[in-house]
Amino acid sequence: MIKLARWIVYAVAALALNFPVIVTLLTSFKSGKEISVNPGFWISSPTLENYATVLQVSDRLNIFAYLFNSLAASLIGTVLAMIITFPAAYAIARGRYGRKVLMPLIVNLRAVPLIIFAIPLYMMFQFAGLLDTQLGLGLILTIVNLPLSLIVFVNAIAEVPIEIDEAAKLDGMSKWGIMKGMMLPVCRPALATVFIFGFITAWNEFLFGLMLTSNRAVPMTVGASFFFAASGGGIQWGAASAVMIVGALPPMLIGIIMYRQISGSMTAGAVKG
Amino acid sequence: MVDLDHKGWRIFASPLVGFLLLFLGFPILIDLVYSLSRVSFTNLRSPEIVGFGNYGEVLGDAQFWRASWFSLRFGVITAILECVLGLGLAVFLSPLIEKRSWLMAPLMLPLMVAPAMIGLMYRLVLHEFVGPVPYYLYLWFGDSPSFLNAENAFWTLVVVETLQWTPFALLLFYTAYRAIPNDVREASAIDGASARQILTAIELPLMRPTLIFTFFIRFIDGFRVFDNVYTLTGSGPGGSTTSLPIYIYEAFFKQGAIGKAIAASVILFLASFVGLYALTWLSRRGKGAAS
Repeated sequence: MIKLARWIVYAVAALALNFPVIVTLLTSFKSGKEISVNPGFWISSPTLENYATVLQVSDRLNIFAYLFNSLAASLIGTVLAMIITFPAAYAIARGRYGRKVLMPLIVNLRAVPLIIFAIPLYMMFQFAGLLDTQLGLGLILTIVNLPLSLIVFVNAIAEVPIEIDEAAKLDGMSKWGIMKGMMLPVCRPALATVFIFGFITAWNEFLFGLMLTSNRAVPMTVGASFFFAASGGGIQWGAASAVMIVGALPPMLIGIIMYRQISGSMTAGAVKG
Repeated sequence: MVDLDHKGWRIFASPLVGFLLLFLGFPILIDLVYSLSRVSFTNLRSPEIVGFGNYGEVLGDAQFWRASWFSLRFGVITAILECVLGLGLAVFLSPLIEKRSWLMAPLMLPLMVAPAMIGLMYRLVLHEFVGPVPYYLYLWFGDSPSFLNAENAFWTLVVVETLQWTPFALLLFYTAYRAIPNDVREASAIDGASARQILTAIELPLMRPTLIFTFFIRFIDGFRVFDNVYTLTGSGPGGSTTSLPIYIYEAFFKQGAIGKAIAASVILFLASFVGLYALTWLSRRGKGAAS
């Protein structure tokens, strides 16, 4: 009896939590005509016409450009964050370097509303010609990814037995050599976790995409909102739904496949944060 | 043996430190200088220092206080709802998920979708002509509230935010709940404790650090909410859904009031600094008292 209740609660929760995605997915398979007469949960004549419209490049919408911008900026924002936090994490875990200032500063960055940096960054980017570029957006996404990246790496390195370092040092290896030759390979799972989680976070970012891009480097999240804003004579809901599904699909797919790593990294932030 | 060669380690941290100085340190400096200046898009590079006028303008702006109140209320209410729902689901569903861990994946799916996208999706869900929610409400009850008017928009957004982020609380609470060793539960069951007693007297106290941490994270994220509010209601009818970040965004981009926007940024920065400092202090004191 209680078991049945648990299943019912589970089903209700899964439906309620995913409700907007389910509705959007259903709508994306309805024709324009059907949407206006049937907002319900069934589809009387499923069609792919919305996806055909959306995947066709037009003046109004070039979804491939948005997807590519998101991909490029997210990759920069994830990989660069990993490159600069890994050595720092090594210094923090092994040398107790920066435990008083650097580490708390970055951990607290997770809790600071990043909009306070947005206006000066806008000015700096204007000056440096980084406005509306994938590189510029990628640099900002790096900031967003720093806290989790550093925390996961520090935890991962701290778990490696220090005897490994000591043995390598006796063999005459430099710190740099130990980090590159021994730590990086051992920490491969942590690297994968940070990459996946960082990529999803970067892909889903909206505020800086909105402020710092306008045309050439617009990411998917912002592009989808343009699609809503630009349609003066009423929104084409079928095409809009297809845009949202296509834009939300990459992180969702990665999330479903890799949910174990992601739950691991979320809890890592929680336990040691 | 810990290697305390401070100078040698500095090189390892230097890329990160350099990046921080350039992309966070320098912006804060600009924030501080420009908040004291008269500045517009025409004299962006040669601001004219005028003192605390911008701060006066922000602090005298009723909309700023409305936005602060919105952010605070939104952060507290969503954090409470998410933690309560997440905890309830984590404890109640734990026997199911323990045996079939894949059951967690559908529950976590909302966390993978951009909040901005979720906001857009609710435009469809709640739309009075094509949205299923008003459609079924009309069908079953003959009436549907207008979810996005000045009166209801706040609570609509609370529900939107809560439904997306409850999985976060659920995930952390489930992990903490499973981490409690089973023999602790068994020992208290042998001593005659009921399931409810075990939960309130043993499990919840053991989960306390996670509960506090999750509440805090969710409060922060609710307080600084931007994406889903911006895409669903914008600043809202009559400015009713203006969070602090939306206030700053609109002051800068819509009104071109750069000085005001930056002064508001600095105030927000100081507020979060004080808040974080107080919290660290409290948690240190709590730990000191416990040990």
